[in-house]
Amino acid sequence: MRERKDRPITRIIIYAILLLALAFFLFPVLWTFVTSFKTQKEFFSYPPVFVPQQIDLHNYIGAMIPPPDGRNGFKSLMDSGIVALGTTILSMILGAPAAYSLARWKTGGDDLSFWILSTRMFPPVAAALPLFFIFQKLKLLDTYYVLILANTIFVLAFVIWMLKGYFEDLPTELEEAALIDGCSSFRAFTLIALPLVAPGLVATTLFAFVFTWNEFLFALLLTRRAVRTLTVMVPSLVGGHEILWGEIAAAGIVAIIPGIVLALLLQRYLIRGLTLGAVKG
Amino acid sequence: MKRYLYTVLALVMVFTIVMPALAQAPNEDPLDVYKWDYPESFGNVTIAVIGDAGHNLKPYEFWKEDLAKVGITAEIIEVPFDAVYEKEMAEFVVGSGAFDLVTFYPAYIGDFAGNGFLEPLDDYMVKEPAAVWDPAADDILPPFWELYCRFGGKSYALPIDGDILLLLYRKDLFENEEEMAAFKAKYGRDLAAPTTWDEYKEVAEFFTRKKGDMLAGKELAHNFYGTAEYGERGFSVYWFLNRFTSNGGMYFDADMNPTINTPEAAAALQNMIDTLPFMPPDVMAYGYEELKDAFLKDYTAMVIQWSDVPKKAGDPELSEIGGMVDVAVLPGWAMEDGTVVHRSMMPVGRVLAVAVDSANKEAAYWVAKHLSYDRSLDDVATMLTGLDPYRYSHFAHPEAYKMFVSEEAAADYLKGVEANMAVGFPEIFIPGSAAYTDALDLQVQKALTGEATPEEALAAASADWDKITDKLGREQQVKLWNQALESYKALGLIE
Amino acid sequence: MSNDVIAKKRKNRTSTGLRTGRWTPTFFVLPAVILLFLITIVPFIIELILSLHVYEFTSLADPQFVGLQNYVDVLLHDARFWNAMKITFIFIIGAVGLELLLGVSLALLLNRLRRGRSLITSLLLIPVMIAPVVSGMMWFMIYDDKFGPLNYIIEIVSFGHFGGTAWLAQLSTALPSVMVVDIWQWTPFIILIALAGLQSIPPELYEAAEVDGCGAWQTLWNITLPMLAPVMVVGFLIRFMDAFKLFDVVYLLTRGGPGSATETISFYTYLRGFKQFSIGYTAALAFIQLIVIIFVSKLFIGYLQRQRGEEVA
Repeated sequence: MRERKDRPITRIIIYAILLLALAFFLFPVLWTFVTSFKTQKEFFSYPPVFVPQQIDLHNYIGAMIPPPDGRNGFKSLMDSGIVALGTTILSMILGAPAAYSLARWKTGGDDLSFWILSTRMFPPVAAALPLFFIFQKLKLLDTYYVLILANTIFVLAFVIWMLKGYFEDLPTELEEAALIDGCSSFRAFTLIALPLVAPGLVATTLFAFVFTWNEFLFALLLTRRAVRTLTVMVPSLVGGHEILWGEIAAAGIVAIIPGIVLALLLQRYLIRGLTLGAVKG
Repeated sequence: MKRYLYTVLALVMVFTIVMPALAQAPNEDPLDVYKWDYPESFGNVTIAVIGDAGHNLKPYEFWKEDLAKVGITAEIIEVPFDAVYEKEMAEFVVGSGAFDLVTFYPAYIGDFAGNGFLEPLDDYMVKEPAAVWDPAADDILPPFWELYCRFGGKSYALPIDGDILLLLYRKDLFENEEEMAAFKAKYGRDLAAPTTWDEYKEVAEFFTRKKGDMLAGKELAHNFYGTAEYGERGFSVYWFLNRFTSNGGMYFDADMNPTINTPEAAAALQNMIDTLPFMPPDVMAYGYEELKDAFLKDYTAMVIQWSDVPKKAGDPELSEIGGMVDVAVLPGWAMEDGTVVHRSMMPVGRVLAVAVDSANKEAAYWVAKHLSYDRSLDDVATMLTGLDPYRYSHFAHPEAYKMFVSEEAAADYLKGVEANMAVGFPEIFIPGSAAYTDALDLQVQKALTGEATPEEALAAASADWDKITDKLGREQQVKLWNQALESYKALGLIE
Repeated sequence: MSNDVIAKKRKNRTSTGLRTGRWTPTFFVLPAVILLFLITIVPFIIELILSLHVYEFTSLADPQFVGLQNYVDVLLHDARFWNAMKITFIFIIGAVGLELLLGVSLALLLNRLRRGRSLITSLLLIPVMIAPVVSGMMWFMIYDDKFGPLNYIIEIVSFGHFGGTAWLAQLSTALPSVMVVDIWQWTPFIILIALAGLQSIPPELYEAAEVDGCGAWQTLWNITLPMLAPVMVVGFLIRFMDAFKLFDVVYLLTRGGPGSATETISFYTYLRGFKQFSIGYTAALAFIQLIVIIFVSKLFIGYLQRQRGEEVA
């Protein structure tokens, strides 16, 4: 572990800068949070209302409960979760070994690497319509499968490329030692390499989840009613003649919670001191 | 464990008590204005309905039991307001058969009906008995019926929401004696709702004041503006079209040449640009909400907006002006012979149509008819939806509009809306509507921000329109446009 | 610290001589490749064919084969296309550039903390978690000229001298306002991958540097940043490709306006594809974008490979 004694003044400056950063990054979230408790009158008033008159949950209830009285936010939460989880798991399971292969053995050379990355490059706005046709023919529209598959296109390439970078940065000594000892490549991969890139793994999983969670265009086009993610539900709160700011804010806050929980859970692995010392050890 | 069970029990009780209480019906006693009847039961059918999400889908909830009585369950598919066109179009083109009943903005009737996606309704409308099947088309205001529900000589849709733009102004400010005197002194005529676009600009200028200035005897706590219009990309074009069409403007000639690049058009656009200084500085970002709020929160003296704003003016949750609103016909353009021509655009609006590949066309048609006629007065007269009147009968029953302070106020409102509807002018409703509108909107924006002169902007839009026509097939477009022109003529919108 | 030593340290890192069975590498890669191939090849071919036709959904006419005419139309006759590309590139350079700068800087600072690092990092991650459709709406409220908190705060902080402005309504401020939202949303992404990258720099490099008498800035410049570079390039590539796709935020904040001030290439493609349903033209637009992205990506990947190449030498 690096030992570096910072002078107190340096430390104060660092904290001050980080505090400023926190203020910038968190203000909109706090604003959303506060808005979720406001009444209709308080949305657009001057001076802006920073503390609503009463803290009540009517916006949350309205956003979450099923119709006719609510916006069915709870179902959307579940649907978004299923799609995001499915995509993430699929992408990680397929992507990690692929990334390892590309990193350790340069499988397929540069061309394969680049092709994998390129699958992510095609503008989804244009890809949406052919996908719509294909899945309509396959009768898969408005199912979880269609969204998981469509999202996997973009997430899988992301996962492979991110993990490839982390694997490439990992020295090979431990794996070599294991192979000499008679381990199979697969075991070297799962028992040694994977744990060692844990921070990278965690960061990638988190973002894979979040990318899917936040995806809008495919969700809009490829589903109708049976599956309705949060990203489709929230713009529906922008009506022709009314914008339900309170429910939007409430839905937004609820939508963040899984992500935050995930981040907190994975936190320990993320910033744990590496066991890299063991390599030199 | 026990505590957990009790909590669950409590929650269940709360929901079973709370939810029914929240279920809403628009009125305790629906008005019995129309004579209608139930059809024979359709058996056990589910009608898939697609529509833009929000309170305009509430009628399916209000009248659920009506539908249930004849064996119909309505399954609602909601889409975001802006995504209606692409969602419905994509599903139509693949022939997915996912919807029975489609709600859309009537500008798309050309795209949908012209491409054969919708079921013609004429045969259904004349079925016997009339009390079950007749939607009383002659009760619908002609511009809406003729231009927005029929295409190529056939009927394809029934209206449920009649949107039209109105000129709204602050009754209290216009009737204030100090202001009236000041206006008369400055302009030599009485202060009143402007009747021409030039007058409109003058009135707007008159009322634009800075924070600290006096207005109607009170000191202003913030800047105040004469008027506000829709500046956001996507819809700002309609506010231009108000001026353009009243100046004799038309979209294309009989050969499908764009006629938007004329001196009249440039004058119309110039008027809009000249009035900008008297609108709030962020008006170019104004969508529906901001525009409504600018007026209702006491920032402007006038506003040109949709017809549901006066309904909200009296609600203290939404409005700071206590219902002090009057409705006038949109300003017009003075012609050479001294007459003033008024035109009011009818953007958005909603109609219901039956998909041509629906398996339950009769049932779907009846649902449409039920909402468009039988229960329509309740739907447009309630605060719970954003639906607006479109039938003569809607205008004839001010007592139904309970959100106004008095029946008289409601009657005034309805008169104003009707007057604007009488001079209603449609959006482009032939195929390609969305493309033409977007192209013009972009150029209008460029002129408003000063990126281009009115002449440049209109010339560019005109060129774009030609490109679009060519892409779609000029022959076909000419044919369809001439059909549309027949409708325009029938309504007296052109000679 | 001499360059030989660094080179020698790096050499150990990516030797490709790891022993393995003959087919093992292929098996590792196969499932992913098969899935990707299946899902992407059909749409790709469809789009390619479509781009060679004039095909308008809203027209009754049949699609017409026109060869490369669509491409010619886009590149030579479409001013809106070039405007959209210009806007997109301004956006990428400005927003992604700032994201990298801010992200790496904040990661470096965070890396020096012992206490509070986890907490602050978790908090900083929150913007990424928020769906753009939600954050778009919230920033729309914040930017509101009359009622939004931003102008209010500006007014207070400047003691009434500046009242803020109509952020989304003016040509000069619309695009920067949209960029700020993107920076707000994605800087945490860069922070996180930079942090993970910083964590994997072997400590003995720093020890050796200290022994050699390197100061803080030298260490930063000669060791930290170069070691961080490969991970950052990947991060940049990902952000670059995503910024090209920027849609949700534009859609919610400005709809491409005022005028076309925020009409990114993605939004323009959307208008052509979904409002006009000019399917053939849109496909051509998409392929042109693809070519641009591939070209730029190759540049950066080439850089990455040169880095690796040096190490192996």
